[in-house]
Order: sequence, then structure tokens, then C-alpha cells
Amino acid sequence: MEDIYAELLQKTAAGDQLAFKELYEKCSPKLMSLCLRLMQTEALAEDVLQEGFIKIWDKADTYTPGKGKAMTWMSTVIRNKGLDKLRSLKTRPVETEVQFEGLEFTSSDLTPDSMEDMSQEMKGLMACLDTLKPSQRECILLSYYYGHTHQELSQKLGKPLGTIKAWIRRGLEDIRPCLN
Amino acid sequence: MPKLNNNNTQGAKRYQNPEVFEQLAIEYAVGSMQGRARKRFEVLMDTHFYLKATVEAYENKFANLVELLPDAKAPDSVWAGIEAHIQESTPQEVKDPWWKANFFKQGFAMAAMALIVTAVMLYNPMSNHNPISYSAMLESDTNGPMAFTKIEKSDMMIKVDIMKDVKIADDMVLTLWCQPKKGGEPMKMGTISKKGKTNIKISEKQWHHMKDIGSLAISVDHKDKTSETSPAGKFILKGQLSSSS
Repeated sequence: MEDIYAELLQKTAAGDQLAFKELYEKCSPKLMSLCLRLMQTEALAEDVLQEGFIKIWDKADTYTPGKGKAMTWMSTVIRNKGLDKLRSLKTRPVETEVQFEGLEFTSSDLTPDSMEDMSQEMKGLMACLDTLKPSQRECILLSYYYGHTHQELSQKLGKPLGTIKAWIRRGLEDIRPCLN
Repeated sequence: MPKLNNNNTQGAKRYQNPEVFEQLAIEYAVGSMQGRARKRFEVLMDTHFYLKATVEAYENKFANLVELLPDAKAPDSVWAGIEAHIQESTPQEVKDPWWKANFFKQGFAMAAMALIVTAVMLYNPMSNHNPISYSAMLESDTNGPMAFTKIEKSDMMIKVDIMKDVKIADDMVLTLWCQPKKGGEPMKMGTISKKGKTNIKISEKQWHHMKDIGSLAISVDHKDKTSETSPAGKFILKGQLSSSS
């Protein structure tokens, strides 16, 4: 499938501000959704999204289509910004009126329409995740979307820390051959 | 998780074993590697290009998960902040320079220009630092982070987000204060809600004054005993103010 954002990102690298604005308008809703889940407060999520897009503007020239899709590159930039912010805060803010939890949006019972919209890469990743045990899959997805530590997962799922660590380790060991 | 060790040769050799570094790379990419281990791994990635390449490959695969997320619209202030950064970082185009238009000889004009630039750099301490926003995480001594505060040039607003409800008596109020870096009397910014969000409009003058502020603090005061110059009650939350440009 054609990467619709790569051209905008390459124009951004050349200093085209209109292209960058279009890129922001098209991509920020998904990325804001990611920031809200990682940061759990609107103020911090907005902060991370803003800092992340400033980094995208500053570093757009380091993106090369050969490394992957533009959206995945931008998601990684913003997610790493969020994880850095969580690390700098030391203590994760408690969940407030912004309650984002659960993985219902990753359900394997997706409608045919939503499957149609999904990229080949995402379909491939879903197929790999579906090979895992539900507990392993859940821990990996919660780590990705919410940035939960092992300790936080242990509390959230009510399981011993050692069990959580084992689920994640074995899950990632099991999924590697499929991803590669 | 395989143990991270970047202090000795034996440790370094372990990272050349694909079984070890592939597992560490995928744990980093998913985010299950956190805290100090994540930081140590980032140091290793700077020196071992294959670690970085492997991590990037896994990050690309997992980043597809963002496709599944429902959309969430960010407020307009986020783009305003980004746009302000771009405007400040983009050099202004110079059209038809005056020194080319039969004014003085070029040599004199250039020398004058250099003198002006030097003078501005010497006498304008803000020339290298123009913040577009300030933020502070306010913490209590006992309950950790309690409130997040953001001050943005784009809307000239102090936004206070109380993350954990502050329990105070009905006849008490919370007041936000700015404390100068060099000490002296704090500046009262206004009364804030004990839960949720409060927005306080600030003036241009107050925005410029922010560069001299070292920390923010919230006091608990009696409703009838508030003062403009100092808190009547004690500070319950405090946090360092940091700028971003």
C-alpha cells in the first residue's frame, strides 16, 4: 500500500510548513490517542504531542522511507518522547477524569470494514499476536499502549510480579520468529 | 529478561549474541524494558549500531498498533505551540538589504551591522532563549505529584490540572503563587479549584516575568484571610518551573 504520509514528511524535511500542517492534521488524532493512553492526563498528553511534533519538524530529514512507513516513524518518535517524560516524572500521575484503559479497540473480532482499512503490516502483526496466549498478548499490548511497568501490570492484573515478567518474556520470545 | 551489563568485555560480548540482543531489543521496542535498564540500553545503542538497527526494526513493527487506536482530537493550543516554535526557529528572509541601496560603502555597512549584532547579543540575555511554554509538576511532601501546571505563550494562560483531589475544609481555598528564582516575595496568581482544571489568564508583563520565576507553589488559605503579597496559610504543593522553547 502506498505510504500517504511519506511525501508530506519529506516535504516537511525540506521546510514546507503547509505540508507539515497537513501532516499534523491527518496524523495527530491517532497520536493524541496514544499520548492520552501513555500519559493518562490531558495536560501531559498535550505536552508530549507538542514536543513530539516539534521533534518531527526538527528531525524530519532523518526519516528515510526505506526504514518503514512515515506514520510508524512518527509514532515511535512520539511514544519514546512519552516514555522519556514518564521516566523524568519518576512517579506516574494517578488516573484522573481522563480514564483510558482496556484493549477493546484491539479485539480480534473487528468488523470487516475495519479489517479492510487495516494495512498489510498491521494484519501481519495481528496474526502474530493471535498466536500468543491471551495473557501474554494482553501484557504486551498493555505495555505498548499504556507504557505500564511490570509492577503496574502486576497490580492491574492482580498477578504476581514473577508471573507478569514470565508472560512478557515468553510472549516476546514466541512472537519473534513470526515477526521476523 | 537477560541482564544488562555494559561494564566489562564479557558483558559487551553478550550483546553480540543474537539470542541476547534480539530479546533485549524487542523488550525495549515494546516498552517492557523500563527505568534504569532502558537508560543503560540507550547508552549501548549509541555504541553498537546493530542494537539500534534491531530496535528500530521492532519499533517499526509494533508502531503499526497505533492504527487500531480510536481518534482523539488535540486542542488547538497544541498546534499553536508547534507553530510558534517553527516561527521562532525559522530565519526571517532578508529582502533588498538596505546596505546595497546606495547608502554607504559596503565595508562600513558590514562593520555597523556586526556592531549592532554584537551589542544585541551582549545586552539581550534572552537572545538565545525564547521559551514558548513553562511547566511544573507540583508535588506534596507525602503524596507525590498532585498537580500539573502549564503556562503557554500561545494563549497567555496558566493551566492548573489537579490530578489528585486536594482535601481542604469548606472555608479554605487554594491559591497559586510564583516564587522568584532570586528569592523575595512570591507573586499571587489567583485562586484555583481543589479538583479538576483551572485556567488563569496572564498579562504580557506577567509572561515576561516568568523567566525570573524558579518555582510554583499552592497554598491553603482561609477564604477571608487571603493576601496579595504572601500566603496566610502554608504551602502544600511545590514544583520547579521549567521552560521549553
